[in-house]
Amino acid sequence: MSMIPKGLEKQFNVLDFSLSSLWRRKLKNLGIMLVFAVVIFLLGSFQMLTGALSNSAEAVLENTPEITIQKMSAGRQEAIPLAYKEKLRSIYGIRAVIPRIWGYYFDESNLANFTIMALESDSMPSGNQLHLTLTHGHFPKITEPGTAVIGRSVHDILGLGKRRIFSFFKPDLSLKSFEMVGLFDQSTDLLTNDLIVMNLADARELFAIPETMVTDLCIYVANPVEIETIAKKIALLLPDTRVLTKSQIQKTYQVVFSWRSGFASICLLTALVAFAILAWDKASGLSPEEKKEIGILKILGWETADILAVRFWESTLVSTFAFIIGCTAAYIHVAFFDASLLKPVMLGWSVIHPPFKLLPSVKVADLMLIFSFSVMPYLGATVIPAWRCSTVPPDSVIR
Amino acid sequence: MRPSHILFIIILLFVFVDSSLFIHSQKLKEELRSDEKIQKIAVAGLGLSDLCIATEARYTRHPAVSDSMAPFADHPGALEHFPTGSFWAVKPITSIR
Repeated sequence: MSMIPKGLEKQFNVLDFSLSSLWRRKLKNLGIMLVFAVVIFLLGSFQMLTGALSNSAEAVLENTPEITIQKMSAGRQEAIPLAYKEKLRSIYGIRAVIPRIWGYYFDESNLANFTIMALESDSMPSGNQLHLTLTHGHFPKITEPGTAVIGRSVHDILGLGKRRIFSFFKPDLSLKSFEMVGLFDQSTDLLTNDLIVMNLADARELFAIPETMVTDLCIYVANPVEIETIAKKIALLLPDTRVLTKSQIQKTYQVVFSWRSGFASICLLTALVAFAILAWDKASGLSPEEKKEIGILKILGWETADILAVRFWESTLVSTFAFIIGCTAAYIHVAFFDASLLKPVMLGWSVIHPPFKLLPSVKVADLMLIFSFSVMPYLGATVIPAWRCSTVPPDSVIR
Repeated sequence: MRPSHILFIIILLFVFVDSSLFIHSQKLKEELRSDEKIQKIAVAGLGLSDLCIATEARYTRHPAVSDSMAPFADHPGALEHFPTGSFWAVKPITSIR
């Protein structure tokens, strides 16, 4: 011990004293630490989960169609005439226009909402590599009417087991049957979990869309630098359409789960209320017992600085441990438990529950934000009353 | 044993737990990187625009290609009623024109 400098030795003694004093009121202090850790856990889980989703979206959606054109009518999106494809010929720089039919099929017996997608995938970029996204089988060929590739949750919800045939109702309530010729791989669950991919003709029949119409048009340009310019030209040429560019689509997920979303507000409000209660309790003053303790310490010769050091150590220990426990638990919650506490908020009434295989996003900036939101106010709220008390004459508090 | 020594042991325990979580995150990152390659093929080949997270409403299944007014488009005075619709933020209105 003689190796340790005197100042440090004093701090060690103060630390020992603070630890024993924390331990003396262990029920209260552990309780505060636990509540504190739960609040930090909530904020941390939110940030790690939404950060992970936006990171995945950013990484994966870089190959999304360069320009998407939807037809708008009376404030709603509706089918776009295939003839618009001919109109686009006048714009120089467009490499390919690919019509798609896609929409939602609500399965009334399971209350599940599937996404149906139909296009000529051979003409899409990476279309020849699409088989890599399947565990087995192949994508529907034009020569194979009535075939489909389905996502894993669709397979489970339809209860297909080893069967390959399933049927959907057309708008006139007649049945249309499909043969499953391929199943999406687990690795693409984040994108294809509820997806059913089929031929254009089959989707047209299922949704009763006329021959001359499709849902939207995907456009690829020759020079990626010109995307915005060509999008503007299209918007002028086809004024009744909405033109979406790749950069707009890529930005979506940074906004959807930002601090301004309702999701974040719920987490933040909960945290704020918890801290307000805690701070109010602390700032409203020390208990007579605590005041008495400070008085006795002062009579024994402790200085105000020493008493503040004890208080500082106590609150630093409680809040820092709560911070570490909360953040560690948040990581475990997102990485190992699929963020199961926040998932119901993310999914709402969805029947399809995609597994979240995500890397929790741990950023120093986010941790600092949570730290300054939680630990700093706690330190302030505990040290200030102690300072106010330790500056009054000791005989007045112990009497 | 001094109380500060017990504290030191507890801190060491946390360092151990958190460093094993860090190692886990590095492994998971590698694993997800290979998944991402396949996901990029799916996005390019099928022209996908969104992640499959919530499937209850069309504007939260495909927020990227949905109108911000879509939740209220069903009838005049329609109220938003899907839970995800009230928790997810609306993407900013951007006009090409």
